[in-house]
Amino acid sequence: MLSTLLMANEFDKNCLVCHGDDFKFSIIMQKYTLKYSSKQRIKKAIFEYLREPNLHKSILPYEYIKRFGIKEKSTLSDSELNSMIDIYYEKYNIQAKIY
Amino acid sequence: MYSGEKKSVLYVLGLYLSSTLILIIVLFASYYFHEKSQIELSEKEILRSYTLEIQKALLNLSDESNNDYKYPRFENFKSAIYDIDQNLIFSTMDVIIDNFSKEYFSDEKYSYLITPIKPYFLGTAYIIVQKQKKDIFSLSKLLFLASISIIVTVITSYFLVNLLLKPLRENIKLLDNFIKDTTHELNTPITTILANIESLDTSKCDEKSLKKLQRIKIASNSISNLYEDLAYLLLNHKTSLQNQDLNLSDLLKQRVEYFLYISSLKNLKFVLDIEKDIIFFGDKKKLERLMDNLLSNAIKYTNKSTSIHITLNSTSLSIRDEGVGMSQDELKDIFIRYKRFDKTQGGFGLGYSIIKSIADEYNIKIDITSQLNQGTKVTLSW
Repeated sequence: MLSTLLMANEFDKNCLVCHGDDFKFSIIMQKYTLKYSSKQRIKKAIFEYLREPNLHKSILPYEYIKRFGIKEKSTLSDSELNSMIDIYYEKYNIQAKIY
Repeated sequence: MYSGEKKSVLYVLGLYLSSTLILIIVLFASYYFHEKSQIELSEKEILRSYTLEIQKALLNLSDESNNDYKYPRFENFKSAIYDIDQNLIFSTMDVIIDNFSKEYFSDEKYSYLITPIKPYFLGTAYIIVQKQKKDIFSLSKLLFLASISIIVTVITSYFLVNLLLKPLRENIKLLDNFIKDTTHELNTPITTILANIESLDTSKCDEKSLKKLQRIKIASNSISNLYEDLAYLLLNHKTSLQNQDLNLSDLLKQRVEYFLYISSLKNLKFVLDIEKDIIFFGDKKKLERLMDNLLSNAIKYTNKSTSIHITLNSTSLSIRDEGVGMSQDELKDIFIRYKRFDKTQGGFGLGYSIIKSIADEYNIKIDITSQLNQGTKVTLSW
């Protein structure tokens, strides 16, 4: 319980602070879902991008990258990164929203 | 039923039945498979249209950014969506599908269609739709119909075969009756002739007349033999068997003496090597028949002024002539009744068939060796 709270905090600090509100995050999850389908593949793709961000791996269109530039490489460790990704998926995944 | 007839009946029956049966099976089987594939096709079409509905709905949903997404539900079918790793995303069906190898499949109640889609709307990589199965015909009904056809075929085949054989049967019956009647008619005059010849007072006859009488006697004996042969073949199953211990050696010598005059006409010599007192348990008349036929064959087909060698021991009897002989092909057909190879001599071709029939009755083995223009040797062993 405590760890998730802590993690959530970390998430806010590491991710939310730049990526801003839910809307953008949702869009990104939508795009990942459309391209990668399953949970494992979505998470793997996100991880690989964050580990080594470049134009080819980006889920967002070229125009967007041109405007905002490529994100800089994450300084987090692998395990920390994966935890972040897990939280992200938990909060925003589309499957859970289907009823 | 005659023996030859049974074989031909079985052949015709077998051929007709098997060909008709194959036809029926092929027809019903192809109808069944055709119907099955037709059903499958129509089901697939319907399921495809359902899949399209789901796909459209998912596309519309994935364009929106909602807090939640209402899964498209339809009245006439159920569906489920799976991701690329075949994990279930959402389903309105009761069953979980784990085998994605077949595109279309069905169970007792439902038929299913699995369609892969891309891009993965709402993460969907596979759409599975399920509908109530449409069953227009039952396999059991088809099998019932097929059995009826088979039964009808069997019944008609019985009538067909009878129809086929009726004229044949009638002809054979006619012939057989004729032969039976004729040979029966022959009996009386033959007996009369022989009896009168025997009782003739020969003391008052001159030599010429005596010779003539001898010839008449021999000729009558020949006719009598022929009659006996025919009677044996036609009425064999009706006469009773009287088996007793016979002195084969004496019997053989008797028969040789019986043919002595005829053989002298061709200047033939009998070379006898007969062991004394060979006993054989059998019917006297039948064994007489057997020996008579062997001897008369030898006499008929040997060349003039040759010898006929006769050997008898406890296990075999052999007769060898030095006559025209037979080829290997003729040897094969020798036991077929009425078959003649050399029509120059008299007779009906009954000889060997009688020999074989009697030999078979007593489990006697027949061995015939022959060479063209050298002679024939017949060995009976027991």
